[in-house]
Amino acid sequence: MYAVGDAVRTRVMNPAGHTRLPVYVRGRPGRIEHVLGALPFPDARAAGVAGAMQTAYTVRFASADLWGVDGDPGAGVCADLFESYLEMR
Amino acid sequence: MSHVHATSGSAANRVKSLVAALEGAGLLTEQRLDDAVASFLGRAQPATGARVVARAWVEAGFRGRLLDDANAAVAELGIDLTHWAPVKLRAVANEPGRHNLIVCTLCSCYPLALLGPSPAWYKSEAYRSRAVRDPRSILAEFGTQLAPGVEITVWDSTAEVRYLVLPERPAGTAGAREDELAALVTRDGLIGTALV
Amino acid sequence: MSKIHDIGGLHGFGELAIESDEPPFHHEWEARVFGINRILLGAGCYTLDEFRDAIERMPPAHYLAASYYERWLHAIETLVAAKGVLDVRGG
Repeated sequence: MYAVGDAVRTRVMNPAGHTRLPVYVRGRPGRIEHVLGALPFPDARAAGVAGAMQTAYTVRFASADLWGVDGDPGAGVCADLFESYLEMR
Repeated sequence: MSHVHATSGSAANRVKSLVAALEGAGLLTEQRLDDAVASFLGRAQPATGARVVARAWVEAGFRGRLLDDANAAVAELGIDLTHWAPVKLRAVANEPGRHNLIVCTLCSCYPLALLGPSPAWYKSEAYRSRAVRDPRSILAEFGTQLAPGVEITVWDSTAEVRYLVLPERPAGTAGAREDELAALVTRDGLIGTALV
Repeated sequence: MSKIHDIGGLHGFGELAIESDEPPFHHEWEARVFGINRILLGAGCYTLDEFRDAIERMPPAHYLAASYYERWLHAIETLVAAKGVLDVRGG
């Protein structure tokens, strides 16, 4: 379980199946912006596990951590990510 | 109907075959199909989202509840958020110096129940790929210019959460009624590609 | 590193095609695809996650060439076949 403000990092992964962790935020540092609570967990549900739920968080990423010098320093991204996509940093 | 998975043929013909097969299996009727579309379009349109925003502009308590628990707040207005399944709604407020933009990079998640079917550009690769990387260029294509120094947050709808931008109330509307305010709110303002 | 739908940050897709007064659907068949999906999801024939997965598994060239509702149609056809939806006669 994470709390608002926690420094996290998204896991590096490359599953063949369905996931809602986009490539552009894999392996990136971010901060917990909001705790969304338990939501339907798509990775398991798409694989046929009915009713799977997992805690999800809104995670904020700084432009430089996603795009380096090629991003807009005044534009951050928030993505809604599941607990198993994250690790503490 | 042995094989509905046709990958050739016009889409319209494939849909015709699919409907016939589903009808044959007792899963739908033409009437139910028409009703499924009409009942959705009847209640899900940008005016619904505009009503939520106008209420938030005139009632500070509602604004607070909307930002805190949007599902409960829109339920106060009698709005049913269910489309495919119950969804969690979050409203994000534009404020001086802070602008918000909604996208779904992986598919096309959108607050359908509040805004109706999304515009084609929202579902396009052009928008989905660029909104997270260069949102100001997206705004520029809509003719939307933010004041210098305004920070943008791009909300990528990657889980079963749908986002609605709460625009800033336009200047010079102090005496306006709630329905007049609602008429000022545009779909693009609720996505964040435009200001209101 | 992923599949063809996962395009956040990619370059090269060009400018937006913004339509004024855009209708909810551009063709009658698109509205029907939308309605079919509502009914089949509502009936539990498949889940939204399976639906998205079916789109994501489209061959990349096919995905990019298909219009939005053609992708939906592909996914519905795929799932109806894969899950034996037509075998369960409800009426």
